[in-house]
Amino acid sequence: MSDHRMFGRSYDSLRDIFAFTSGFFGRERLDPRLLPIVDFALEELFTNMVKYSTMSDAAVRIDLAGRDGGVEVTLTDYDVEPFDVSRAPEVDVNLPIEQRRPGGLGLHLIRKLVDSLEYEYSKESRQSRITFRKTPAELPGRGDAPKGGGTDARD
Amino acid sequence: MLAIDFGPDGVVVIAGRLDAAQSPAAQSFLDRVEGNVTLDCSRLEYISSAGLGVLLKTQKRLLGTSGKLRLAGVNRHLRDILVYSGFDQLFEIEPAP
Repeated sequence: MSDHRMFGRSYDSLRDIFAFTSGFFGRERLDPRLLPIVDFALEELFTNMVKYSTMSDAAVRIDLAGRDGGVEVTLTDYDVEPFDVSRAPEVDVNLPIEQRRPGGLGLHLIRKLVDSLEYEYSKESRQSRITFRKTPAELPGRGDAPKGGGTDARD
Repeated sequence: MLAIDFGPDGVVVIAGRLDAAQSPAAQSFLDRVEGNVTLDCSRLEYISSAGLGVLLKTQKRLLGTSGKLRLAGVNRHLRDILVYSGFDQLFEIEPAP
């Protein structure tokens, strides 16, 4: 019901991360409609770690665990400064195209798509831990209106 | 993996996963298109914010020369991402049948 793996701090790791999630979903027979949402949140959080925690060269740990018919995902980043992704500022998605800029949407979209997003930081070990959950009950199109708007300093 | 190329009817066909690792290749291709362009997304399995950035940059460039990028064959997951991003206000979107 759970698995974990370490991934090097590179965009090239994305393919291995997606293979890891896909394999876990297959083994645990999880709802495949959740997979692109889980991959999306994982990519955004992982690439933020790669982009913004440039002083660390430690691999990132990803844990997957089955929860309530869905999945709980934890990313652990080592030897980094804190950045609470759950408190990132909102993004105005209603700006005209002249004022829209590429990037800045990742955390906004994660908050719309997942059930929960939590951040923990340990000063002693300089570890950031980000945990999110996604279950079938919160799939878009199940009667729930799109969650409200917003964006962030990071992607 | 990602594949992007012109289809037989002049539309641009994109297939696979448009993630942060694949976005530079997609951007490189789309930087060369001109005018009114339809992007057939019916075989696009996945898009991340890096991919959204590619679409936005291309749309801005095309609108600056009186063209535009139109998204066709948009599946449910992609549509949700576009709506949550406010991109449904920036692009003409044709859902998948």
